[in-house]
Formats: sequence, structure tokens, C-alpha cells
Amino acid sequence: MLRGRSLSVTSLSGLPQWQVEELPVEELLLFEVAWEVTNKVGGIYTVIQTKAKTTADEWGDNYFLIGPYFEHNMKTQVEQCEPVNDAVRRAVDAMNKHGCQVHFGRWLIEGSPYVVLFDIGYSAWNLDRWKGDLWEACSVGIPYHDREANDMLIFGSLTAWFLKEVTDHVDGKHVIAQFHEWQAGIGLILSRARKLPIATIFTTHATLLGRYLCAANIDFYNHLDKFNIDKEAGERQIYHRYCMERASVHCAHVFTTVSEITAIEAEHMLKRKPDVVTPNGLNVKKFSAVHEFQNLHAMYKARIQDFVRGHFYGHLDFDLEKTLFLFIAGRYEFSNKGADIFLESLSRLNFLLRMHKSEVTVVVFFIMPAKTNNFNVETLKGQAVRKQLWDIAHSVKEKFGKKLYDALLRGEIPDMYNILDRDDITIMKRAIFSTQRQSLPPVTTHNMIDDSTDPILSTIRRIGLFNNRTDRVKVILHPEFLSSTSPLLPMDYEEFVRGCHLGVFPSYYEPWGYTPAECTVMGIPSVTTNLSGFGCFMQEHVADPTAYGIYIVDRRFRSPDDSCNQLTQFLYGFCKQSRRQRIIQRNRTERLSDLLDWRYLGRYYQHARHLTLSRAFPDKFHVELTSPPTTEGFKYPRPSSVPPSPSGSQASSPQSSDVEDEVEDERYDEEEEAERDRLNIKSPFSLSRVPHGKKKLHGEYKN
Amino acid sequence: MTDQAFVTLTTNDAYAKGTLVLGSSLKQHWTTRRLVMLDTLQVSDSMRSVLETVFDEVIMVDVFDSGNFAHLTLMKRPELGVMLAKLHYTLVLANTDDLFEREELSAAPDPGWPDCFNSVVIYQPSVETYNQLLSLASEQGSFYGGDQGILNTFFSSWVTADIRKHLPFIYNLSWISIYLYFPAFKVFGASAKVVCFLGRNIFTISILPLLQQYGLVKYTCSYVNVENVSGAISHLSIGEIPAVGQPVHSEDWKEWWEQGQADYVEADSFDNLKRKLDTYLQ
Repeated sequence: MLRGRSLSVTSLSGLPQWQVEELPVEELLLFEVAWEVTNKVGGIYTVIQTKAKTTADEWGDNYFLIGPYFEHNMKTQVEQCEPVNDAVRRAVDAMNKHGCQVHFGRWLIEGSPYVVLFDIGYSAWNLDRWKGDLWEACSVGIPYHDREANDMLIFGSLTAWFLKEVTDHVDGKHVIAQFHEWQAGIGLILSRARKLPIATIFTTHATLLGRYLCAANIDFYNHLDKFNIDKEAGERQIYHRYCMERASVHCAHVFTTVSEITAIEAEHMLKRKPDVVTPNGLNVKKFSAVHEFQNLHAMYKARIQDFVRGHFYGHLDFDLEKTLFLFIAGRYEFSNKGADIFLESLSRLNFLLRMHKSEVTVVVFFIMPAKTNNFNVETLKGQAVRKQLWDIAHSVKEKFGKKLYDALLRGEIPDMYNILDRDDITIMKRAIFSTQRQSLPPVTTHNMIDDSTDPILSTIRRIGLFNNRTDRVKVILHPEFLSSTSPLLPMDYEEFVRGCHLGVFPSYYEPWGYTPAECTVMGIPSVTTNLSGFGCFMQEHVADPTAYGIYIVDRRFRSPDDSCNQLTQFLYGFCKQSRRQRIIQRNRTERLSDLLDWRYLGRYYQHARHLTLSRAFPDKFHVELTSPPTTEGFKYPRPSSVPPSPSGSQASSPQSSDVEDEVEDERYDEEEEAERDRLNIKSPFSLSRVPHGKKKLHGEYKN
Repeated sequence: MTDQAFVTLTTNDAYAKGTLVLGSSLKQHWTTRRLVMLDTLQVSDSMRSVLETVFDEVIMVDVFDSGNFAHLTLMKRPELGVMLAKLHYTLVLANTDDLFEREELSAAPDPGWPDCFNSVVIYQPSVETYNQLLSLASEQGSFYGGDQGILNTFFSSWVTADIRKHLPFIYNLSWISIYLYFPAFKVFGASAKVVCFLGRNIFTISILPLLQQYGLVKYTCSYVNVENVSGAISHLSIGEIPAVGQPVHSEDWKEWWEQGQADYVEADSFDNLKRKLDTYLQ
């Protein structure tokens, strides 16, 4: 889909003209080192892959990614070619001559950046010698049993060797090398130990200890300064990895991390305050039709409704037009992802909805992969029953239609009592009979292994949400990745998200949060927390995030019970919105997507590069101290058409919005709102740009 | 009892520290048998003096050229009667004199490969057995760790012949097992008699004063008594130890890391590593 958006719709034409000085890229070389270059393991692959275009646009042929070679990845993602750059070519040749296998080519993604890939296994014969090198450099040894860490040692040694060859032949150009995560860190440590003339950046996307400690049900954030981190790492048998991480942090000229909250975590877990926060972006693709995303929502929502019809057969006493679809998705980390607090708040939400005799029904999907033994029979049966009913209705309709047609041709109005004959009635009665179900709709779609110990199921049993007819909150645990070829719910993840109304991610530990970011980009509101990187980011950049469909739960400064109540209030408020209000909210959410685009967020990386050059080569480069873009982005003020408090359940238009069409024109004026946003954007970096029109006072930005 | 002895061996000063722990702990639990140390030329004189304060006899032995079969020399000392051998890096937590009631060849299974034995072995010295072992060594060599491989190959019937010659696990408790099977440790750990350790934390605590006295270390720090050490182990926590001065990181030291036994409490604490990094960061 092409990009082509009218300026009036985006507020981000008023993006702060953040004057990061352009770097003289022709006189520089940029290397970005990560284990996940062409090698998908986790989220870092997504970061690097989506960022490549922005960086390649800026750096052209002077940008190289360094990663591990795997035959499969090479075959499917890389187009082999010869290096054009002299220094790089000589480095590759030198290493290949000395018993390595270094592959070079273009990564077949947007931006087509060059990649340098090392065959780790091929160079493993050097392991002993390189262990000695590492020991000499930083007195860290790697246990025999940790295969992964030993691989990282080989990777780092090859990287350092490569960078030495490059800097030996680089002929006046300066080199920047950015290393992602502890896996790439050895390259940094060795480069510094050998005093290579490189400006280094180390970026961490999460700390080793942070994730472990959070998962151990410790009150992590309130005890950050009290941990004996050496001991914690030692006791968990990851001391060597922790040392690699810390040494990398210590040796880097510039240290960055992905969010404010991770910066705080890093300050205590790694004992260094990050110099720059470099949030993770996405490649936002816009449709040529501006509200196409709303149409897609309607389309995919219908598919989810189909699934629900099947799943709840025999108990479909609720109106699907008044049913909201909520979901949570991600790795199965029960407390880190906030599934625990979510379930508790669903129980309270159910109570509230029942108490107020609400007509709204909420169906909540938990998409968290776990060990399963295939689909359970009940759910499959549900879909089969639904399909069967559809077929019967369809065939009866065909017969009926024919008779009607014949009657009309004869010039008669058909006799309504005879139009359906006995056979039809029997078929329909039998069909209805088959939808009788004694058991309740199951809370899970698959047979789970260890279902007695499964945390989600155990909590569901405890709070008693069993998809009873009287419950207004229904729960479905889908413990597998979504797939468009699934017999149960044939949608892929993106389609499913678009079809839902709200994504809920009340995480306790989430260094960035691609899941809520993806929702936002697709125009779906989401719930996040102030312990999530994404949540912190939104809090800083948007004056009234709730109006824009970003609900931020305070899990940092409140007790768990209070946080749970706040989440419940958010959900309840969301449920009380009219359809019209939801549509307007989605429009606003979608407008935030430019904020998450690499075209904006890439500037933080630019700043980090500038900063490291000024530290490594202070004679040649300096950076203005006034331009660090800490968290002063710009603030979206409160949109004017939003009612002052979320409790307002009155429709924004006098008539009821129950049967409103999606495409009816909205009450608020798009042009007007966009103009207001633009006028009120603060621009901290370019002092020359003076906004005209009325300016909101600073205090009005905060809510 | 003069015809029975606990015997251990050390081939250099580093190993000697571990044997000191063993010796101290045996005395701590009122053994009535003799304590014998076999040492070699590589052990320094000052270390030997320390050893002599703990062990009843310190005997110099020859080590073969291969350097691997030192422990076989134990076989050459029939006048010592029945003895325990090669308690390598072990600490005794309770009186273990009852081991002498067992026959040759009783031994503790190796936690890593229980069909082989290691660490605690009871046998009777005999020149005949010794010669047989030597010829086996020259024919076949050792599949692992010098004498451990030889002994296992020679006494190959040990694994199936008689369960009474298999010492219970409490005579060879390893740290790893405590981690891996903690519930068992909770139930049976109190009756542990011998624990095998590879980390340096423990001997640092228990024999540091001795080493200080003889000028073998220059650390100036407080220390914990051996009694506290035994108690601490059974509660799985040693407690805080104040930082020591700059340790020397030799090649041997790297071995500790590679066995997953870095001393994160003191010698390998990150602050120490940081100092090294700072030497080349400007």
C-alpha cells in the first residue's frame, strides 16, 4: 500500500524540527553488530530489520550490519555480493585467508543494507586461544557448559578482528560501531582492550538480571538499589554473562537503552546511567485511503464474531453488536506480562457490569503460547455446529428464495404459513436441537498439558469466570500462535489485532513493548503501564494519552490492589463508550503512529552516534549540550472534542448510536483538530520556529 | 589407632590449601586416626610447615614423569595399614572414622557418573596391587584424571559386585547436587558427612589464618572459624566476607570460571574486574 496522506490529517507535520546536525557520512563508516542480524531469535531482530531503511537512507553504502552466518538465513534473506568499500573488502579477504569464512552481501529487506556474516562453527577451532584473549582482556572466563556464551566469544573475537582489519585500512575515515546486547558485547570489550580507533555504542534492550528478578516475584522496582547484583548473578549461574554485559557497558563510549524505565533498571543493574534513550520504532505503512484501517477493523471484527458464534453455541444469549473484543498477547510470562492483574480486574469488571445491568458483553482472548495437546473437542465442535447451522440456513434460504421468486412471477404474494414446508421445519428443529449444550463454553481452545498447574487456568478457576450466561465477561485462552490456516480461528496475528477493540498489556516488566506499539499503529487502543517502556514513552509525549486510546496503568507508585482498580476503571470506562466514541478514539490512536515510526525515533540513534564520535574523537567532533533529546519530545494536547472525564457515558450526539454505520461522518472536525494539534506542539530544539495562533499554557498540557 | 590413617596428597601449593581444609575439618570432628599428607617437591617449604601443623605426618613422595599417577604411590606404603585416599578438595562435616570398618575397595560414586568412583576411597596398601596398577597404567593409560581412570579400570567389579562397597552419597556430597536436588538435601542434608567443593570461598575462610601466620598470604582481613564453616555449609550460606586485596589472576584461575565456579563473592567481584578494564580505558 502506498503512502500518501493529506497533511491535514497528521499532526506530526508539526514534528519538532529537531535539528540534529547531519553527520558527514561520506567520511565515516557505521557498523551495527548484533547476534540477530538476519537471525531471528527475539525482538532485536525486529528492531534492526525495521530500522534498516532509515539508517540505510542516511548512510548509504557506508552502513554495514555484522552478524552470525547460518546457511538457511543466508539462502533466504541475503543476496551475496562483493564488498565495494576498500577497507571492508580487505578485511573480509584477510580473514578468509586466515582460516575464517566471512560472507558478504545485501540483506533482502527494505533499505537493502550490507551485511557481514561470520561462520561461527567454522572458526571454533580458535576457541581456546580466544578464551585466553578474553581472560587477558577482562579476567572473565566462560563455563564449558554454556554453549551459547562460547559462541558469543567466537562471534565477538571475529568482530574485533574484523574491526581491526577495517581500521587498519580505513584511510582517514572514522569508524562507529554499535553493539546490541551482551551477545555482541565481547566484540566491544576486545576492541577497547586493543585500543582500536573506534567510537563505540552499547545498546541494551533489557538487563539480564532485571528479567530474572522480576520473574521471581520480587518487589523489583522498590528495591532496585538494594540488590547485591554480583551475588544475584552468581547464584543464578549467569555470573559470566552478567560480567560480559557489565564490561560492555563499562567500556562503551556511549551507553543507550530503549526506554526511561529500562534506563532506571540499567542504572542499578548495570551501574551506569544510559547516555541516550533510544526507543524502538516500526516501519509504519500508511494506506492511501485514510480511514482504510477502520474498514479493516470492521472486516476482521466480523471474522472474530463468527468464531464467537461457534464457540458460544447454545449460550448465545448476548448481542454480538454490543460485544467488545479484548485481548492480551505475548510470551507466557504470567506476572511479567501482567496476566495476573488482568484476570483479577476482569473479575471486578464482571461484577461492575453485572451490577449495573449492562448490556455490553466483553470477550477476552489470551493469546499466550503454552504446551498443548492439540485443540479440545468442544471448541472444534462449536465451529462445526456453527458451520452446519450456516449451511442449513443457507439451503433453507435457497428453497425459500426460489418459492418466493416463483410466487412473484405468478403474481402472488406467497402464503407465509406455507412457504416453509414440514421438511424445512424439521430440519430447522433438528438443527436447533443440536445446539443444545449442557456444558458451558470452554475457557480454553486447546487441551493443555499440566492444566492443573497452569497459572492462567488456575486463576480463572479461583475467580470463577467460566463463561456463564450471567457473566458479562467471557474468557478464552488460546495457548498457541494464531495462524490463518487454523481450523478454529483462521486469522493471522495482525488481522486478529485489527478486529479487536482493545489490547490490554498491563506488564510488570516490559523494557519496550512492541505489542502495544503495533496496536497503536493499527489504530487499536491499548492498555499499558508506567513500568513498560512504551507506556513511559507515551506518557512523555502525549498530554492526555487516554483520549488517544493509550491507557496507562500506574503499577509503579501504587499498591497492586490500587493498580488493579485503576485497570478496572479503565476497562469499565472503555465499555461504556458508544460506538461513535470508539470510532473517534481509534482515529486518534492511529494518528499517534507517526510517533512510533523510525523516521522520528531514528533521531535518537543519530544523536547517540554523534555523541560517541565526540567522545572518541573529541578533536574532530563535538556535540551541542543543548540538543540531547532526553524525553522532551512534543506533547499532543487534549483533543477538543473529548468530554472532560471518561465517566461520561452520554453519547456525543443526541441520537443513540446503536445502529450507526461505521462510515457516517464524525462529529468532530478533522481539519480543525489537526490544526489545533499543530499549533500547540512544543518544539524544544529549534528555537527559531515560533508557533502562531493561540498557545496553550504549559500547565494545561498536564492532566 | 596407628595402623589406620586418612591420607591425602598434594602436588603443589595451590592444591595444598584444599588439603588443609580437609585436615582441619578431620581434626575438628575428633578423628582418632592419623592424618597423613603425601607431598611432592613442588610444594614450598613454608607450605610444608603449615601442613605439618595440621597433619600428623607429611611424607615426601616421588611423582612419575607422567605426573599423573602420583596417587598410585599410596599403594607403596603397606606399613600404613588401611587408609582413606585422595580426599581431593573435600571438607568433613562429621566424624567419619566409621569408614575404616569398611573393606577394600569401598568408594564413593562420582556424582557425575555414578558407575565410577572418586574422591573417597578405602583400601589396603599392597605392593602387589601397586605393581598390577603400574602395568595397567603403562598398557592402557588412564581414561580420565590420571589415577582415577586407572583405579576405576582396575577395580572394575566395584560397580556391580557388592553394594556395601558403595559409600552413601553423604560421603561425597557435591555442591551441584545440592542445587539440582534441593528437596533431597533438605531431608538428608543434615546427615552429610563429607562435602566436595571446588570453589575457593570455603578454604579461604577456614585456612586463611594459618596461611597468614606463615606468611603465605598477605591478606589482612577477618576470618571465620572452621566450626562456623561447617555450620554454614549445612545452612547453605557462608555469609558476607569483606573484600580482599587485588588477587592474582593466573591461568589456573580461569579454570574456576570454566567450571562455573567463579568467586563472585570476592576475588572475581565485578569491581575487581572493573579495575582491570580501567587500565586501558582512557
